[in-house]
Amino acid sequence: MKIIVMIKQVPETSEVKMDEHSGTMVREGVESIINPLDLYAIETGIKLKEEYGGQVIAITMGPPKAEKALREALAMGCDEGVLISGKEFAGSDTVATAYVLAQAVKAVGGYDLVLAGERATDGDTGQVGPGVAALLNLPLSTYTSGIVNIDNNKITVERLIEEGYEVLELPLPALLTVVKEISFPRLPTLRGKQRAKKQELQFWTGKSLDLDIGKLGLKGSPTRVVKIEHPKVLRQGKICRVTDEETLVEALDSLEKFLSEKKLIAKEGKV
Amino acid sequence: MKYNPVTTDVITELIAIVGEKNVILDPERMEAYSHDETPSAQYGRMPEVVVTPVNTSQIAEIMKLANKRLVPVTPRGAGSGLSGGAIPQYGGIVLSVEKMNRILEIDYKNMMVVLEPGVVTNEVNELIAKDGLFFAGYPMSLESCYIGGNIAENAGGGRAVKYGVTGRYIMGLEVVLPTGEILELGGKRVKDVTGYDLKQLFIGSEGTLGIITKAIIKLLPLPKQKVDLLVLFKDVQTAIDLVPEIMTKGRVVPTSIEFMDKLSVQTSCAYLNEQLPYQEAGAMLLIEVDGNHEQQVEEDAEIIGELCYRHGALEVYVADNYTTQERVWSVRRNIAEAFKVYSPHQSLEDVVLPIAEIPNLMPYIEEISQKYGIKIPVYGHAGDGNLHLTLVKNPESTMEEWYETEDKALREVYMIAKKLGGTISGEHGIGSKRNKYLDLVCSPEELRIMKALKQVFDPNGIMNPGKIFPT
Repeated sequence: MKIIVMIKQVPETSEVKMDEHSGTMVREGVESIINPLDLYAIETGIKLKEEYGGQVIAITMGPPKAEKALREALAMGCDEGVLISGKEFAGSDTVATAYVLAQAVKAVGGYDLVLAGERATDGDTGQVGPGVAALLNLPLSTYTSGIVNIDNNKITVERLIEEGYEVLELPLPALLTVVKEISFPRLPTLRGKQRAKKQELQFWTGKSLDLDIGKLGLKGSPTRVVKIEHPKVLRQGKICRVTDEETLVEALDSLEKFLSEKKLIAKEGKV
Repeated sequence: MKYNPVTTDVITELIAIVGEKNVILDPERMEAYSHDETPSAQYGRMPEVVVTPVNTSQIAEIMKLANKRLVPVTPRGAGSGLSGGAIPQYGGIVLSVEKMNRILEIDYKNMMVVLEPGVVTNEVNELIAKDGLFFAGYPMSLESCYIGGNIAENAGGGRAVKYGVTGRYIMGLEVVLPTGEILELGGKRVKDVTGYDLKQLFIGSEGTLGIITKAIIKLLPLPKQKVDLLVLFKDVQTAIDLVPEIMTKGRVVPTSIEFMDKLSVQTSCAYLNEQLPYQEAGAMLLIEVDGNHEQQVEEDAEIIGELCYRHGALEVYVADNYTTQERVWSVRRNIAEAFKVYSPHQSLEDVVLPIAEIPNLMPYIEEISQKYGIKIPVYGHAGDGNLHLTLVKNPESTMEEWYETEDKALREVYMIAKKLGGTISGEHGIGSKRNKYLDLVCSPEELRIMKALKQVFDPNGIMNPGKIFPT
């Protein structure tokens, strides 16, 4: 089997900071790691390779330092790494990213399966995987929680839905986005790390992929961040001290007033 | 020693000192102050009253009152201790420092912080990390424990191979004596040989000499990089044999060398719904190296990893980012908690040996485990020679049988530790859990001096009685 895993590198911190002006994420000064959910896709790919033979190719679009994430994927057991990088990609939204990745997957060619994490922990959209499937016209299973069987050019998967699980049969090649339930990602070994450090990566650009420049980066991205708002917690308590009958009446009066102001009880104390 | 009960008079006086809202009498609320992390059925004791003073002078007044009335006082931090240190063995007053939780000063020029005793240890580290500093002497329970308790127990932890234990970083203390006097010991001085180092006496005193009300703590530059190795071995002995060699042959001082046997890893993984490849491994080492330069740290990790491969490691896994490091450390951190869920009746031990003797301990433990028919999972800070072997009750035995087995097996474990040049506690303390075993490892003369010292600080014996000394 030839399996392509699409991964993303995300800031290591759980506190994602946004640039109020550009509406994009602040990545400076934050160490990058493989998107934690993509680790499950990588593990799934490697497991399938171990069972059915073949190769796993990790591809990512990102800044040059995304090389680190790619080498981590190699250390885990991926066979090849492709880094798509260049200024032309800066500011790409999910549409532009899906376009680039779809073209890259096409350029790799000859694949049976494309895997991705359910979503990235920074942007949280979960759109790129399905976007790539749409652009390549591939059958898609999102929220995939298990692989039941691969046989006769068909894959049977289980996917997590609100009411439980759904079993789907898809013709290959297909694209799956996976959830945590599908596997336990392995840790890279020291030997794997040493191998990954020396291995040659493929570096692709907009030009080498012969991409339509108009569909890349900020100007190729229809998504516009109009405004960023932080939800404010406005809840606050009020404490009424009750020491005698008089203060008790006062406390009850102020409670009644509060509840009627919030329209939780009718005026004149009628509930 | 005969103590007086906490009468309504005493309570009235306590209220006058700390105010009504800082006095707890409701048994339901007091229950939380009756135990620590030792099994509560075995070691728990109810206080008669709990007070939560907000400043040093209130504590001084409480101590004067208790000393006059001959009421025992047990100081308490977060209650995450493992030897019964914060449990009111003779009832009386539990004095919780929970409301004294201010960070009083961050002194960047001297690289020190001044803290009240109720500050949660990790809060300090979270606050100063952005300035590239950290307090290195913290224990494994750093997210809940208080700095006051850390000092009173001289807590160790997972970084002691390189950074030592809490005591190394304590520059100065303010303490209230059982008689109510307030003492200032040490200060922001790196060197100080002015008379006896009394400050040192309070570090690890388990709350028996006085109450720590303020601490000056040394900080270190926070290393920028760290790499963890999770190393699998076929059995316990192979893993343990390698521990002394990491430093002698590898010539690298790691920050931690943690050991976990198969049962420990399995139990913790089941508790966390995690999966590490433990099935084929009899034991694991978790080794961490840190430093400021990525390349140097990677090289150190590689040297140790290669050494492990050469000594029969089945596999060496590398965790060099937050996700993977959190995964492996969380398995290690949750072992004690996981065993509690698995079996509440157990004795979590803390023997410490010269590092080179660690391999020699293992066959004895296996022998004791078989002799008494109990499971003894082993994990802990192998790099410090400090192992948390845990005696777990056989589910089929009665509680009476268990207490008898526990006592006999513990005595054997302790005597072997002693024979190998070790002792009965490295970081958890003696408290009420091990006091009856102290004379196994302390000579009568040593005990006489300790008791005489206690007498000087606490003439009426009201300060955390029933701890450390055999009764």
